[in-house]
Amino acid sequence: MTPIALKLAWRETASSWSRFVFLFLCIALGVGAIVAVDLFATNVENGILGDARGLLGGDIELSWRRTMSPKGQDVLDSLAERKIPVSHITELAGMAALESNEPYDHATKASSQLVELKALDSLYPLYGKVIVEPAQPTEELLAPIQSGCQRLPCFGAIAQKSLLIRLDLNLGSELRIGQASFIITAILEKEPDKIATAFSLGPRVMISREALNATELVKTGSRFHERYRLQLPPSNNLEGWLGELRGRLSPEGVQVNSYRDTQPRLRRFLDQLTLYLGLIGLTILLVGGIGVACTIQGFITQKTPIIATLKTLGADSSQVMKIYLTQSLLLGGIGSLAGGILGTGLHQGLPLLLQGFIPETFPMDPSLTPILQGIAVGTVATLAFSLWPLLAIRHVSPALVFRQDVDQATSHMEPQPWAIKWMTLLKHWWNDRVGRLTSLLIAGCLIGLAIWQAHSLSFGLFFSGAFLVAIVALLCGTSGLFWILRHIKFPQRLLLRHATNNLQRPGNFTKAMTLAIGIGVMLISTLMTVQHALLNLIEDQIPTNAPSFFFIDIQPDQQTSFTQIVEQHIPGAASQLVPVVRSRLIAIDGHPINPEDHKGKRNGWYFTREYVLTTLQALPKDNIVTQGQWWRNTPPRHFSDNAQGDDNLPLISVEEEGARILGLSLGSTLTFNIQGVPLVAKVSSFRTVDWGSFSINFFMILEPGSLDGAPITYIATAKVPPKEEIPLQQAIVAAMPNVTAIHVGDVLDNIAKIFRQLAMGIQALALLCLITGAMVMIAAISINRYRRLRELAILKALGGSRGLLLFSLGTEFGLIGGFAGLVGLGLGCLLSWSILQFFFDLTWTMNLPVLFAGLLMTVLLTLITGFLGTYRLLGLPPLSVLRQE
Amino acid sequence: MISVNQLGMQLSAGNQPVQILHNISFEVPAKQVLAIVGPSGSGKSTLLGLLAGLDRPTHGSIHIHGTNITTLTETAMAHFRRRNIGYVFQAFHLIPTLTALENVALPLELQGVTTGEERAKTLLKSVGLEQRFHHYPIQLSGGEQQRVALARAFISQPPLLFADEPTGNLDSATGNLVIDLLWQLHEQHDSTLIVVTHDSALAARAQRILTLRDGAIVHDTALST
Repeated sequence: MTPIALKLAWRETASSWSRFVFLFLCIALGVGAIVAVDLFATNVENGILGDARGLLGGDIELSWRRTMSPKGQDVLDSLAERKIPVSHITELAGMAALESNEPYDHATKASSQLVELKALDSLYPLYGKVIVEPAQPTEELLAPIQSGCQRLPCFGAIAQKSLLIRLDLNLGSELRIGQASFIITAILEKEPDKIATAFSLGPRVMISREALNATELVKTGSRFHERYRLQLPPSNNLEGWLGELRGRLSPEGVQVNSYRDTQPRLRRFLDQLTLYLGLIGLTILLVGGIGVACTIQGFITQKTPIIATLKTLGADSSQVMKIYLTQSLLLGGIGSLAGGILGTGLHQGLPLLLQGFIPETFPMDPSLTPILQGIAVGTVATLAFSLWPLLAIRHVSPALVFRQDVDQATSHMEPQPWAIKWMTLLKHWWNDRVGRLTSLLIAGCLIGLAIWQAHSLSFGLFFSGAFLVAIVALLCGTSGLFWILRHIKFPQRLLLRHATNNLQRPGNFTKAMTLAIGIGVMLISTLMTVQHALLNLIEDQIPTNAPSFFFIDIQPDQQTSFTQIVEQHIPGAASQLVPVVRSRLIAIDGHPINPEDHKGKRNGWYFTREYVLTTLQALPKDNIVTQGQWWRNTPPRHFSDNAQGDDNLPLISVEEEGARILGLSLGSTLTFNIQGVPLVAKVSSFRTVDWGSFSINFFMILEPGSLDGAPITYIATAKVPPKEEIPLQQAIVAAMPNVTAIHVGDVLDNIAKIFRQLAMGIQALALLCLITGAMVMIAAISINRYRRLRELAILKALGGSRGLLLFSLGTEFGLIGGFAGLVGLGLGCLLSWSILQFFFDLTWTMNLPVLFAGLLMTVLLTLITGFLGTYRLLGLPPLSVLRQE
Repeated sequence: MISVNQLGMQLSAGNQPVQILHNISFEVPAKQVLAIVGPSGSGKSTLLGLLAGLDRPTHGSIHIHGTNITTLTETAMAHFRRRNIGYVFQAFHLIPTLTALENVALPLELQGVTTGEERAKTLLKSVGLEQRFHHYPIQLSGGEQQRVALARAFISQPPLLFADEPTGNLDSATGNLVIDLLWQLHEQHDSTLIVVTHDSALAARAQRILTLRDGAIVHDTALST
């Protein structure tokens, strides 16, 4: 690059900076969105890596969900002998009930609450810090309390504030959990090893291990999660430990994780979230790019005399292009820099929008790499979107310095059918080597950006393809609407005709404006439609006969009392108790499953999860057998232990999708580990399950008699009139403190709340896309400011009143908004239909009021934006404009 | 030496073809001063633009120093202009974002010569603008702008100089000053000078006058100087 290119580029920019304000904004918004998402992703990544030990709670965590086998217990005992500090945590759901002398309105006010219990030992936490209010050592806060309690044993407990709010408690209030009493001694502010707070069954309550034993909640077959966290000496070989522990404990059903592979699910969720947000950011940048292209094209048109002069002085096209490309990159670079600053600000807001989805302990500090990357992305996008309009420089003839009003004969094109016109354009493109190479370079830049942002070749290509389809569809839609405008006879009112003609005039950037706004509308309408459909599914599609409660961990000796209590509250309601046992799948067709082989893999969960097994005589009503046969209604068979003969194996029916992923066929054998005892079953049928029925359903159902002698507990559902919900819950908790009552409505409300919050975070970013679209519109309008100014002056001079001019401009902008809204909403419908149909398997329904409101909002937005871009022009006296000519 | 043979130019205004030049042929020996005159719309400026390689004729050829410039590619033509042609416009056509000095040095910079500033200063001094080196075009009067344009046209020491109505936008006193300078520079640089003008006094200073009407040469008059 010669210095003259840089000098001219800088001088042109400095002298016309006001024309480039919207170019800055278009790029800055796009880069800002990308930088914000990338900074967020970097912080999350750093948070996971940097605080990995804190998040895991140790160097290595051993976790399992059943009573440990003697062999496993030996390994755990050996850790103490090797002087490795081990912190033992138990997590389980439980019911906390009020312990109060005062009369309590049990009929209307909840006096019990489902809580997430966490029993700690004195070593907790090995890494990180628990923050409580008042700030006292955890051990003191959880210690046994000998006096002041209404019943003993009594202990201190640390609870989340939400529990105090829900049960109207204070510090010092007394609770009953299981067979023990607790005084709330502190409020839990931050829990270092809590990954995400968005979803939980209930507020967290921390108690001591001694207190857990006193609650008597951990019984045979009950649901709990044991975690052993190991603190290795710094010199110890982590891989060696992992190898040893996995070798010895994986066969016992213990998951062995190190801080290095912390929370694969959290990471996967955050990776996907940042990928989607990043792609929305890229969409914003691409929409902003349309603004860049418009601005550069308008600028080059205005600079034609200077370009022609430079050519007369001997500059060739490449030299002139270098000048203006340098200028574009300079502007794009400055815009990207502004975007970097904007993104740094925006990224501080993202954690607020996504509160609960990321650990509370994560720092949100700006770091340089994502900002520099964002600036690079913005500059590359500027290059890609500037190149095509800059190619027009080649066609600027130096002869324009003395002749501007006469076209050269060769440049005039006769009206042709569109097919021939397109063929001619294509042929021209093919013959134009520079144009061909440039368009390939542009496509390469844009696809490269998409691949980089998506971190995946296939996804990047898919995104580029989808974006191209959207652009082509928007352009075709706009052309179609133009065609309608041309062929339908509207009232021939002059200013109306002027407005519609203005839309189709060359150089008016109508298609660019439609494209920019339409993509924003498409994005937002798609997100809203999908969100609406999913919320609808969560909130409104619950069957009327869906249960109000799920009760879990009912012990065999509590069956009768449970049935009686339910019968008392809902006379005639026969609550069905279903026996369940927790197990782990350890072999398929005799081939052992190594959980390590499936960790972190797609659908690997089917191989590593805990299966809740049941025995049922009849096929559940929401199930349909698709292959094989359900067992006959015969008396339960009895199975000998460790039976190997095929005929003597219990039969099992497997959910169809699970069977497909596990690679099962009819006759396959499945081996389960039920608390150390193997159970082999033969697959006799596959079923489809309507999970949306909210009935008790299972992946695996065994024939009756299969679980005889196994450590069974019972689960039950109950459909209760709303006014009976609280009394029934209180009665069950009072009589059976170990039974956990899960209120379906609360869980669904919680899911809906999380979903709404997530959707809000995504929509906030998508809204930026619409704002960028508006910026593109203002940019496009400001490019033609002088032409519009002259036209308005002539119309005013000819007697046009301000009202009439406003009407004309309003019609023009309203039509642009209408075009963009119609095509954008149409594409949004198509995209949301595809997403709901193919990703969520849901039926898409047209929501006409929402679509109409969307269209109205778009028209309103374009009207406001258009008037913002032109209101100053309307006020200028015509003579002052015309005198300048 | 310029040799023009059967030169024709057709343009279109809207859908209507307009014949600007009809089969024009003539020769201009090196170092001659030629004035092209004629009424508005006679094709003077178009002819000058074609001679300077700023446009391509519909037919015919233009040979300059043996090179048929009508067959050159766009880039080759640009390079040819750099080395051989200086051009002075009626509307000056200075780059508004460059100072007087930078405008004058621009042709050299386009050739990759980065040390043209001294030469530009000398030329600006020779047209009496030593006090205006760092002024932008908008800060200069019309006459000063045209003098900058003159200096710019001569900076590459081109063998051919074209001037299109160089005094058209100036008052007569300033116009005379510019013409004096143009002639002075032409003599100093020994260049061929072709001037398009309406001004008969200016035309009378040339060695030869070519009169155009409706795109054809109607008179080719040699003058004694």
